[in-house]
Amino acid sequence: MSAVIPVGMAELKIARSPEQLVVYGIGSCVIVSLYDPKSKSGGLAHVMLPDSTGIDPKVINPVKFADTAVPALYETLTGSGAFKSSLVAKIVGGSEMFPPTEDFENNIGRDNTEAVKKALKKLNLPLIAEDTGGRRGRSIEFDLESGIIRLSILGEELREI
Amino acid sequence: MQDVTNLTRTQLDALREIGNIGSGNAASALAQFLNRKIDMAVPSASIMDFKAIPAIIGGPDKTVMGIFLKVMGEISGRFLLLIPEKTSLKLLHTLIPGCEIDTPLKMGELESSCMREVGNILAGAFLNALSVITQTPMLNSLPSMTFDMAGAMIDSIVADMTAISDKVLMIETSFIESEEDLRIHIFLLPDPASLQLLLKKIGVV
Repeated sequence: MSAVIPVGMAELKIARSPEQLVVYGIGSCVIVSLYDPKSKSGGLAHVMLPDSTGIDPKVINPVKFADTAVPALYETLTGSGAFKSSLVAKIVGGSEMFPPTEDFENNIGRDNTEAVKKALKKLNLPLIAEDTGGRRGRSIEFDLESGIIRLSILGEELREI
Repeated sequence: MQDVTNLTRTQLDALREIGNIGSGNAASALAQFLNRKIDMAVPSASIMDFKAIPAIIGGPDKTVMGIFLKVMGEISGRFLLLIPEKTSLKLLHTLIPGCEIDTPLKMGELESSCMREVGNILAGAFLNALSVITQTPMLNSLPSMTFDMAGAMIDSIVADMTAISDKVLMIETSFIESEEDLRIHIFLLPDPASLQLLLKKIGVV
């Protein structure tokens, strides 16, 4: 049995085949995955908020914010032997769990998704697949052998990206 | 702004006490419309790491009914009811004559609207008690509801409260229907910006 490594909110983990990374109960958060098919290594960052502007750098957890988490994941992976030129990105999450009412609306999911895309673009990391938005929570398994992400969503068929 | 991590024991005790009064009021409202005896667990007011919240109700992938309301007024915050599947079905079967759905996934408009009303009544009763104690009107928004993984709901609700600190102030309690172990978890998360006023109103600045 290969290792299955859970990734919690605001955490960053990297792994290598035959390991798997898993995340349970993703709502408005966005999971960024980077994968290098050559070394069969990759990582996930569990992003909660779009933008770290104005947060004191001394107290910041860079993984919480899209603009700092994407570079952090990229550097961690390339620092541990992944090939820069073969890295590809997939993103999952960013849903709006509670339907808006007259009194509030919640755009964190959408803002997180846009901010992650912007940060990937800045580093020229190709986004090859995404499963984002909507009203449902997601859980994922990231298989480092194939680079495939399996998604489970309540009341829906399992799917892969 | 009052930092949640610096709250004293006395302040936490006072917050727990308002949780007690608020949930007592909500429990009697529930007992009344279900016509059953409702017991209340001892509430807790704690400063929690947000990552630890899903564990309270059985883990991030545990599917539950979530009813979310905003608390509006000078003292603002977020109010969340997490209702395990078994309890939500029991509520629906009790409140809607002839309702026989076996999973909340099959809820139609009638069932959804019934659950939102449950949320509305419980939040209203809870916040009414708090308005009286604090002499500050606190209103709840219309409820928004979903049935999904607890972790997914919690990350959506706490995300923007945790930009700087990983800690949130949470007043938590649960109701237990005495015969059947039907639980409802109530969470009140005061906005950090109105915490100082809340503490002042309950006399523990």
